[in-house]
Amino acid sequence: MHEEAVQSDVDLIELSKQNPESFGLLMTRYQGPLFHYIRRMTQLPHDDIQDLLQEVFIKIYQKLNEYDEELKFSSWAYRIAHNHVIDYFRKVGARVQINSLEDYEWEKIISASVQIEKAIVDKDCVEKIKICMQELPMKYREVMILRFVEEKEYEEIMDILKKPKGSVATLIARGKEILNKKIKEQNINCF
Amino acid sequence: MKNLIENTIGKIKQQQLKPAPKWKYLARKYGSWSVFGLIVVLGSLSLSAGYFIIANLDWDLYRFMHQSMLGYSLSIFPYFWAILIAIFLAAAFFDIRKTETGYRFSWLKISLITLGSIILLGLIMSLFGIGGRFNSMMTKGVPYYGKHMMVTRESQWMQPEKGFLAGTINSVSDNEIVISDLNRRNWNVQFSEKTLIRPSVDIKQGGMIKIIGKKLGENKFEASEIRPWIGRGMMDGQQRRFMINGSGMMRNN
Repeated sequence: MHEEAVQSDVDLIELSKQNPESFGLLMTRYQGPLFHYIRRMTQLPHDDIQDLLQEVFIKIYQKLNEYDEELKFSSWAYRIAHNHVIDYFRKVGARVQINSLEDYEWEKIISASVQIEKAIVDKDCVEKIKICMQELPMKYREVMILRFVEEKEYEEIMDILKKPKGSVATLIARGKEILNKKIKEQNINCF
Repeated sequence: MKNLIENTIGKIKQQQLKPAPKWKYLARKYGSWSVFGLIVVLGSLSLSAGYFIIANLDWDLYRFMHQSMLGYSLSIFPYFWAILIAIFLAAAFFDIRKTETGYRFSWLKISLITLGSIILLGLIMSLFGIGGRFNSMMTKGVPYYGKHMMVTRESQWMQPEKGFLAGTINSVSDNEIVISDLNRRNWNVQFSEKTLIRPSVDIKQGGMIKIIGKKLGENKFEASEIRPWIGRGMMDGQQRRFMINGSGMMRNN
């Protein structure tokens, strides 16, 4: 454990190239965040998420020589996970869902996106907003999850989605705008 | 979750998976930047060729064509090269965006860097005369290039119906020059005291000239102005009238 705490991601990458056992330390460090990221991006059962996560880690391992130290390792790993999830949904021909967010995660998105006047949002209201959010195109939803649930900085979102900073800012602003518009259209007036 | 780590490492060992070799990644990375370099070189070549054409045209001809300067400029603009440069700019943009960190650059930054590099390298190429040589290669090697795709000095001066003629002098007499035009067709060109002969024109057999005037018949042309093949033939910015004697020598009038 001590070794894991002091060694940087870059050190662990170098060690992993020599010995797959060292890759276990990197996996220990990122399995939690990546598991939850995949869960937030998908609507799959726990075991399926684990299967996807294993495939993501194997991909990361096979691409270790491609890692560019200009990026944070976490951003790079999230990018691989993001692309893998998109590929997975493309392969199975399904639409990426985000219903699997926890209540506290929904509240993060809602409070960041919708103008809330009341301190507490009632459950019924959250349910209605979930439906509006579900109707948002994928490009807006994924960026809003990264910003408001994963609490990533703009630069990290840039690196994960491989989009310029201006595009990330536009997607977030536009996503909020569309969500607010949908809420108005649906006459959701519970704040 | 612990099982996941053990299973994954077990799978890596069992299937003898290895990180992909670094050279593959580097080849892809430097390949993209090499493509960018190639695009800049091709763009610069296009720019120097376009610049060569513009620099070699006679920009005062719009007065003889009864056109506005703007209309004339639009009619002789080297669109072919301009479109190619625009294509190269777009290609450079997509190439950089496809690199590992290319998304960090805005389209404006990429366009300015690419255009700046093309202009800089294009000017250097022009200084070394590469644009002219490339243009000649294109004229000789690419069908339709010199005749239909571009207004060149040659196409500009091979319009006898419009009053522009160019060619090589075959013989000179007191009031007539016989020239062989750029298509090797012979013309009897009449001139008089009123004909403006630019100072640096060397009217003698074998010399190349450009003539502004009027087509009189099948092979007859009346010259109102004679210029050297290269440039406008001005000396010290002055225009003087010259007479030609029978031997082809010039004397100041």
